[in-house]
This record gives sequence, C-alpha cells and structure tokens, in this order.
Amino acid sequence: MFLTKLALKNLIRYRTRTLAVGLIIAFAVFFYILFDALMAGMNEMSYEGIIDYETGHLQIVNSSYWQEEKKLPLDDLIPLDLLRRIKLEEVQGYRGSSAELAFQARLNNGINELPVVGRGVVPEDLLSVFSLADKFVEGEMFSSGEQRVVMGKRLADLMDVGVGDYVILLVRDKNNTFNTIEAEISGLVHTINHNVNNFLVYMPLDVAQEALAVDDVVSKVVVRLDHKEQAPQAAGVLESKLQRLDGDLAVYKWDDTDALSFSSYAATENQIILGIILLIAAIAIINTVILAALERMREIGTMKAMGLDVREIVYLFVIESTGIGVLGGCIGLVMGAVGVWYLVRFGVDFSAMAQLDMTSFGVPVLGKTHGVWNPNAFITVFAFGVAVSFLSSILPGYWAAAKDPIQAIQHR
Amino acid sequence: MGGFLTRNRLRGAAWLLGLLCLAGLFLSPRAAAMTAEEIIQRRDSNEYVQTVIVEAEMVILNNNRKLTKAMTSYADGDNALTIFTNPRDRGTKFLKRGDELWMFFPDAEELVKISGHMLNQGMMGSDFSYQDIMESDKLTDLYEFQLVGEEELDGRQCYVLEGTAIPGEEVSYHRRKAWIDRERFVGLKEELYARSGRLLKVMTTTKVEQFEDRWYPVEAVMEDKLRKNTRTEFIVKSIEFNPVIPTETFTLENLR
Repeated sequence: MFLTKLALKNLIRYRTRTLAVGLIIAFAVFFYILFDALMAGMNEMSYEGIIDYETGHLQIVNSSYWQEEKKLPLDDLIPLDLLRRIKLEEVQGYRGSSAELAFQARLNNGINELPVVGRGVVPEDLLSVFSLADKFVEGEMFSSGEQRVVMGKRLADLMDVGVGDYVILLVRDKNNTFNTIEAEISGLVHTINHNVNNFLVYMPLDVAQEALAVDDVVSKVVVRLDHKEQAPQAAGVLESKLQRLDGDLAVYKWDDTDALSFSSYAATENQIILGIILLIAAIAIINTVILAALERMREIGTMKAMGLDVREIVYLFVIESTGIGVLGGCIGLVMGAVGVWYLVRFGVDFSAMAQLDMTSFGVPVLGKTHGVWNPNAFITVFAFGVAVSFLSSILPGYWAAAKDPIQAIQHR
Repeated sequence: MGGFLTRNRLRGAAWLLGLLCLAGLFLSPRAAAMTAEEIIQRRDSNEYVQTVIVEAEMVILNNNRKLTKAMTSYADGDNALTIFTNPRDRGTKFLKRGDELWMFFPDAEELVKISGHMLNQGMMGSDFSYQDIMESDKLTDLYEFQLVGEEELDGRQCYVLEGTAIPGEEVSYHRRKAWIDRERFVGLKEELYARSGRLLKVMTTTKVEQFEDRWYPVEAVMEDKLRKNTRTEFIVKSIEFNPVIPTETFTLENLR
C-alpha cells in the first residue's frame, strides 16, 4: 500500500513528466477514436452509395443470372408478368421497387466511343427506389417511351455532350446482332456513386427492351425498404413467395453484392492504419518510460540503498506507468468524445478542404462526411493505452532495479 | 490478321481479306442468270484457301493521327495467328482458335482472352472490331441474299446484293449490302447495317490483283460510320496461298 501511495505521489511530484507522457497517450487515443469514427462514417456512406444507387436493399434475380451478372447477359431474364404476381408491397418495410434491364453498350458521340452500362428502367419506379431525384445537375428524368437518356455529368463531360445533345448507344441484341439506340440526353446527374457518375446510362425500359429484341423481361428487380436492417427478414419472406412461383428466382441482400467486397477491403485497410497509429503510440510510450527510468536512476539507487528489493521497484515503475496510461487514456477519451461529437453533429467537407471532387477518385464522398459513434473503439483504444503503459514499464523497471545501488546513485 | 480474313472469307467471314470481302470468279456466260446465292457462293468458293500466309499493313487514320501497323498472318482452317511486326507493337500476337480469340502482349508477358463486350472494340484501335474478325460462319447460312440490281462502281459493273439476317441466326450485322464486280466477282464495297437500319460500317476495296487464276482484293478501307474522321486501310504486301504451316503454330504455348 505504501508503494502504491508512493507511486501515485510520484505522479503528482513529477507532474510535468506525467502530463507530457499522458498527453502522448491522450493524442494517440484521440486520433484513433477520431479516425475510427471518420472511417466508419465513410464506410456508412459507401454502403449508402451502393444501396441508394445500385442494389437497393434487396434484389430479385434469376440465380443463374446472378452468377454471370458481371457480363450483363441477356439470358435468364425475369418475365415482368411473373413479377407482377408477387405482392411486393406486402413485405414489411417495403417502400418501392424498380425493375431494370441492364446491358452492355458503347456510347458514341460521333467522334469517340466509350463502353458503358445501359439500364432500361421505369422512371417513376427508379426514382422511388434510388436517390436520384435531387441529384440532377441539369435537365430532367425522361418518361417511358421516349428516346431519351439520363447519364452521369462526368460521363457527359468526358464525351463532351450535354442536355439536348443526341448520342448513339451501340448495343448487341438478344441475337448478338448490332443495334443502335439514338437518344437525346434529357438529364445529367452527379452522385456519390462512381459507377452512376461514370458508366451508367438510364433509358426507358420499353425502349431498351425493343432495342435488345427481348420480350417484356428484366434483368432484376431492386426493392427498397425503410431500413437496411430489415433486409434479412424481408429477404426470407420474399424468398418463400418466389419459391412458390419460380424456383430459379432468388433474393439477394444489399450486402451480398460484389460491390461490397471493396468496402470490406477498405475496412481491412482502415484497421491497418489504426494499427499503425497504435504502434506509433506504443513506441512513444515505451520510449518515454525508458527515458524516465534513466532520469530517475539516482532515485532508484537511493531506494535500493534504503532496502527496497527489485520486485518492489518494478512494482513502483509499473504502477506509475499504468497511472500515466489511465490518465492519458481518460484525457484522450474526453478529447475523442468531443471530436466525434463534432464529426457527428457538423461533419467535415473534404471536397471543400481539398478543393477537389472526391468522387472523381472513386471516394464515395459528396458534401460533408459525418462521423459515427463507436463505443467499441473507445473501449479498445483505452484498454490498449493502459496495457501498453503497463507492459512497457516492466522491462525498464527490471533494468533499472538490477543496477548496483552505488553505481545507480553515481549514474549521470 | 490477313490469314484470318482469307480463310474466313470462304465462310463468308469478315476477317481481313474477308473484310475485303467478295473476291471474284471470272465472269462466265451463265453469270448474268445467276441468283444472289449463287453469286455469293461462287465468290466464297473463289476466295477459299485452306492455308495462307499474308504480310500486310494496317493504316489507322483517326482525325489527324495516323498509325501504321505491320503484321504477318498464318491461317489454317478455323485457326489463325497474327504477329505484329512494327516497332511499337512488335511481338503482339493474336490467336484465333475456332470461336476463341487470344491476345498476347509481350511487354506484360500476358495472355488475354478477348470475349464479351471486348469483342466490340476496335482491334488495335482500328475500325475492324474483334467481332468482325471472329465471324466465320458461311454467310449464305446466316443471311438471305437478294440481287437488288446492278450498278457501276468506280468504272466497274457490279451486282448489288442485299443480305438480311435469317431470323434466329446469330449475326453481328442485321443487313449487309454488297457490290460485287460482275466480271471478276470481287467484292468492291460492302455496307453493314444495324437492326435499327443505321449504317455502321463501310468496307471498300481499293485495289484488286490477279494471282494465277484468281482475283484477289489486296487493298481495302474500312470506315466506322458512327465515328467521324476515322478509317482503316488494309494493305496486303504479300500473300502465299496454300503453304505448309505446322500445326503447333496455332497453340497457346506458341503464343507466349
């Protein structure tokens, strides 16, 4: 008990050192929490970017088509009359659904050609499922039956075309025969989704079906729910409905898509960055503790001369160091909490800071990025700070305590 | 590439010389009474060679940019190998094995199978798409041809044939219109249309030469009509009919 009290008194006596080391830990904790909140926020935005513009919450697809989806085949499509027999609105949380016919095309402006993905859609349904309505930077949505298209502003800029211009889409129909779709650009959108901005061209479903020589069929139906958390349950309900109609149809949740593999890759990358932050913090803590031990060599010699054994001296070191860890950790938690609160409440506009459109680098950020509260991060990083402080004091403690008292007192 | 075209022309292909299309037979007394199918078939028969080695040049003109690519092609049946020989592309190879097309990039030492939407792209930036060079079925099996008239083209009397895809057949172009030299049965011009009726490509033969008993188109121009100011000239520098080509020439191992 005496040694514990002595250790705590030492923390106060050497308050400058305590504060300096404590602040190193505090900043490590602070940056970790802040970075974690920001990354979680960006991750959330990237999920939203996929749900809001590509997958919705659920997708009804022929299971054979799903295997080949990247090639956008015109086989294994779903007859629309079959889909009409599924009462989607009975699914809990149902907000809307959009049938789409996806196909490969080459967008031609008369001078250049670019490969794009065409999407035949029913405009009203599309807007009920995807968050496109307020993303028009020019023009408007087309109506069914019109030879008009909507595409990303960036794609239009790249092709040097704008609203009112005519473009040609070169496609291959069901028989693999070339066909062309001549269409006027009715609107341009700009979203956080890289694919929508750069590769997608929307057009009326009936126009696409005619051009591709397919019947009243679609590649998939995208379903929007109130919340993404409802997806697993709704998928189960829909799956059983579909089984009764057509055994080949299946329901895929938003997180079943390949698009999310990038997000999980990014999450791994974030963990590595967070690990590096912690490693730097650990090195700083260890370094400081060793320097502190060197500084206090004479004091250690005196303590040994007064009869303290090695274990007691190490104990003193460990308590002091852990105390600094707890103190620094607490300061870091407070700083982190303030930082996360700011990020959650106000967000941060990277595009404005860098004077760049982050979506052009594939970063799903448009406008402000908001942080996300993650209690796990608070607990993890606090525990880490204390543990590193604790562990890093043991070896220097033994090293200092093993010195001969006379040599230690004479140490300079 | 030249090899691909030559061999596929027998099958009505668009590959290289096939793109040059419609080489002729000598005019026979019966020619005037021939049907569209007979004209196509005699042209195809005339152009057929089991094996061929071609040295050719492809000049790609895109706005003010001019790219010249030289190549040597070997063809045998459904297989063909083209090796680019100009400094910039030296060592780049294309191998057609039946319905498959492979490409080898020497710099990356990478073998790439060209499939799906990649087939719609212009071969080496030219106006010939990869799909154009892959067509190898007999045209008369895919299209219903009609003799729609006779016209003079650059001083040559031509049959004008129009082929419309037979319903259900997989063809790249829904309709094609061909001008065939009445006297030499060489294709002098061909227009290729999309199902929408839009003209997609025009291939024009600009030079024809006689090799022993056959006339052969040796220079042609392909124009992509969806893009302005772009055309590709194909020039046969030398051609050897029916050479002996080792079978292993057309293996993936040989492509590396």
